[in-house]
Amino acid sequence: MEHVLIIGGGVGGALAHDLTLRGFRVTLVEKGELLSGTTGRHHGLLHSGARYVLHDPAAARECWEENQILRRIAPQAIEPNDGLFVALDETDLSFREPFLEGCAAAGIPAREISVDEALARVPGLNPEAKAAVRVPDGSMDAFRLALPFFATARANGAEIRPYCEVTALERRGGAVTGVQVCDHRTGRSETIGADLVVNAAGPWAGRIAEMAAVQVPIQPAPGVMVSVAGRLTHMVVNRLHPAGEGDIIVPQRRLSILGTTAWLADDPDRVTAPAAHIRRLLTLGAQLLPAVRSLQPHAVWSASRPLLRTDPALDPYSISRTFDCFDHAVRDRVEGLVTLIGGKATTMRAMAEKSADLICRKTGRNIAGRTRETVLRPYRGYWRQAVP
Amino acid sequence: MAVPTGQGEPEPMRTIRFKISRFKPGRIDPSRFETFVLAVNENMTVLDCLEQIRLVQDPTLVYRHSCHHSACGTCACIINGTERLACLTRVWALATTTVTLAPLRGFARIADLAVDMTGFYREIEAEWEVLRTAEPLAGAADSGGALRLENCIECGACVSVCPAVQAHPPFMGPAALAALHNQMQKTTAEQRPALLARAAVPHGEPMCERALACSRVCPTGVYPARHIADLRRLRLG
Repeated sequence: MEHVLIIGGGVGGALAHDLTLRGFRVTLVEKGELLSGTTGRHHGLLHSGARYVLHDPAAARECWEENQILRRIAPQAIEPNDGLFVALDETDLSFREPFLEGCAAAGIPAREISVDEALARVPGLNPEAKAAVRVPDGSMDAFRLALPFFATARANGAEIRPYCEVTALERRGGAVTGVQVCDHRTGRSETIGADLVVNAAGPWAGRIAEMAAVQVPIQPAPGVMVSVAGRLTHMVVNRLHPAGEGDIIVPQRRLSILGTTAWLADDPDRVTAPAAHIRRLLTLGAQLLPAVRSLQPHAVWSASRPLLRTDPALDPYSISRTFDCFDHAVRDRVEGLVTLIGGKATTMRAMAEKSADLICRKTGRNIAGRTRETVLRPYRGYWRQAVP
Repeated sequence: MAVPTGQGEPEPMRTIRFKISRFKPGRIDPSRFETFVLAVNENMTVLDCLEQIRLVQDPTLVYRHSCHHSACGTCACIINGTERLACLTRVWALATTTVTLAPLRGFARIADLAVDMTGFYREIEAEWEVLRTAEPLAGAADSGGALRLENCIECGACVSVCPAVQAHPPFMGPAALAALHNQMQKTTAEQRPALLARAAVPHGEPMCERALACSRVCPTGVYPARHIADLRRLRLG
């Protein structure tokens, strides 16, 4: 079978899993630790899809489908406690009907509950709440939700190489035939040949594409997150209004994570956490759960989302969270290179499946994907299979 | 939010020397310290500084990190002599102008600050439950059936600091014993004796020297020493 080399240890893990199940030989290289770029670094929401029903119904439907699949195939690191969308003022209330209709249209089981019931479930909720809708959100440990893909891929024969940075693409004629890497574990450079190279570098995908002198519509969109010490809610608490800054609080262990802000950046490495963003997240978080006001930040961090750019002038909150993959042979007449862009942690399995379908078409293979029903190995299996 | 422009008041910075233990098998071998100098603001953590050093000064620097908020447990290392998470350690709070960084002890070393976690999981079964019943929220009578992830983020700090692990490498170590004790409380009464027997083997709980260093360095309040004391009480009946 063909040798596929995947660049990027985020969503690339799900692709390595999918491709090994289909019988391909797979090598994955990641410049740092696995899941250290974007996929391990988000606020930990297992999306029900409800956040997207008002402006991105396709992403909403996709999230709900993948939410159910992840609960089946990788249940170990999910806190399955559902979520609330809460209206705090008259403007929020005006979104209640379209929100419920959008959830129904996307097949998301959303149900309005009384404010009294919401307060009983989340006693710290703003008592001025005007309405509450319960949705099947969940919390995840971002690292431990994604690691099972790597554990399973590795057990099925994929070679996973963290700390291994791509420095150039090997090219022969118009085709990409492999990569040059520097293995930072040893300091040695080497060439790895491949029948196909997959650029799954997330917000860094543009850098890899440049190595083949092609452009991809990637828009890095960093955002800030703040965690506070104290578990203020078991359910995810969302503001019932169109997606915007500071509209969510995600519990995890004994922390509450306030998310998030967003801006558009040219450089995925410039992920600062401006003080104004931190203050804004604390202020908006306290509107949902007033106890936030009395808590100090536990950690502040930021990460670059890898958005699929459709219009350079767009508002970062309303850019579609869907994903796409490109065959550069079709797009740019560069054979041997595929790029996947966009998406989010909740939909990583689907991104991988769609990309693997494209790789099968490209290589003339007719092999169905099996990741939908294949239960993944526990995350600890990533290391434990090396136990003698 | 608007794009941060970097305009406004210049923020106060301190010049900090980072003395980082470097190691690349066969190349920088044995390991040696290398110093990097960085301007650091009040909010920057040791992990933020490692990211800056790798980005601007040395792309070959190897360290582990993922979540940046004490959930993944990957960034534990020895900071000025103490096991800590790099993501939670603010540089100014260390109140030193030189920050010394070394990898965790008791693990095989991959390169620089990164260690291989294989040994950590030797005595922790992959299938052991990671979820537990959540505590009731303030103002609620019960947890309403809510589940949450365990406190332990499997960072390895307790193993690194444990004098018994250093003196007797076969020792299971504090994290595995705490995980085993947690698992006992989630299994059926029939399965409990087998788990207890597993803790009671010579390289298990009896090898603990009660130094309590594990509980002192644990960044998420697992208090492994308490779990080990409970296992000891159960063994001694």
